[in-house]
Amino acid sequence: MHEQDHDHDHDHHDHDHDHAEISATERPGYFDILQAALEELLNERKLVTTAEIERQIDVLDSRTPALGATIVARAWTDPDFRQQLLADGRGTCESLGITFYDDTGLIVLENTETVHNLVVCTLCSCYPRPLLGLPPEWYKLKPYRARAVIEPRALLAEFGTIIPDDVEIRVADSTSALRFLVLPLRPKGTDDYTEEQLAALVTRDAMIGVVTVKANDERVAA
Amino acid sequence: MRQHLPPDDPRFIRIVPALQETPIFQPGQHVRVLERFPLGHYRVPLYLRGRIGGVERLVLPAIDNEEEGFGLNAGVKRHYYRIAVPMSDIWTDYAGSSRDQLYIEVFETWLEAVHDA
Amino acid sequence: MITIEDFMHRLPNDVGGQASPAFARVEHALAPWEKRCHALADVLDYHKLISTEEKRRGVEGLGADVINRLSYYERWATAFAVLLFEKGILTPTELAEKMAEIEARWPDERVSSTGEPRP
Repeated sequence: MHEQDHDHDHDHHDHDHDHAEISATERPGYFDILQAALEELLNERKLVTTAEIERQIDVLDSRTPALGATIVARAWTDPDFRQQLLADGRGTCESLGITFYDDTGLIVLENTETVHNLVVCTLCSCYPRPLLGLPPEWYKLKPYRARAVIEPRALLAEFGTIIPDDVEIRVADSTSALRFLVLPLRPKGTDDYTEEQLAALVTRDAMIGVVTVKANDERVAA
Repeated sequence: MRQHLPPDDPRFIRIVPALQETPIFQPGQHVRVLERFPLGHYRVPLYLRGRIGGVERLVLPAIDNEEEGFGLNAGVKRHYYRIAVPMSDIWTDYAGSSRDQLYIEVFETWLEAVHDA
Repeated sequence: MITIEDFMHRLPNDVGGQASPAFARVEHALAPWEKRCHALADVLDYHKLISTEEKRRGVEGLGADVINRLSYYERWATAFAVLLFEKGILTPTELAEKMAEIEARWPDERVSSTGEPRP
């Protein structure tokens, strides 16, 4: 960080916030400036405060796939919790303090020996953000969104996931206020794992349904 | 994910729900997605238009998101339905199991009942 | 050759089943402004200044050329500007002036803070 980049602050005492997005060493790009301009104008009109935006950044940063992994591991080890989660995804998460700040519902889709679930949003990028955080870039791009609904098996194969023909694929195209979490199959050979050890196996992509969960020894072997 | 069922207890039989408050379709019923083509905004993908699916569950009532997209946020709430459609009914050359299915939520105004022939 | 009906029926975001470029497992860590843009979207929705559904419609309304050229949050920020104009919350002039004001906080138009000429 170069000190001279903060010079602009001296001329603008009418707002007390730090423009983190434009006080970096690089000169800001067009969209940095657009974003900063929108924020400043909305601030000046007292429609949106910087404190609200920064609080929301903290909200976003507090949601990561580790939360979902914790839920999945608990569902694998606690049958009552699993039943509750499948019956009421959002309510069960809320009972643990996971708030649904975007007012979406949550349905938990259970993978079994005969059913494999896959989640996509063909129209935009709907994703269980309150639970998993922000989606990966590939989830938001056209190739995934275009293909998941027409050739899910070929697409899954590109993730290294081969689903046998006798397993039914259920593609959830998320279009309204419902969001989906895949409850993956618990890998074999994990009977003696603790809940924490199980949670460590569960990846973001497994909760989208594009990969399966593998035990540590399977990973080493691969 | 409330499931509304018609009351059969005679003590509740006189309750009058508001217009459009009660879901039109029930889980297990078959419905057809209408073929209409709004411009400007929609939440029913083109690949789904005209397809027939089974209602898997009701989704909590919501306002019409085509209207909401244009700032008309005060409308009457109606139901979404999560329906399941066989992949091979959507895509003529679908490569995969004939049991593979597409699940999607569709707003009530986009659906009509299919009466089993 | 697609008919005018086909052209009008499909919004640019409606890609399910469409031909697409090869799939790549792309990851992207958000730039600070992108994170702020996401947070702004949520706050705008909380206040119903711009609801999530309006934001979607706003992005779709940018048209295929703009959508294909811009990245995810570039679309959002552009759509917010247009939606705020539509709602009479901001005017195009106010935004242009504010952007020029922010741009002018950098001492030299032609030289970046690292001393390299600007592209």
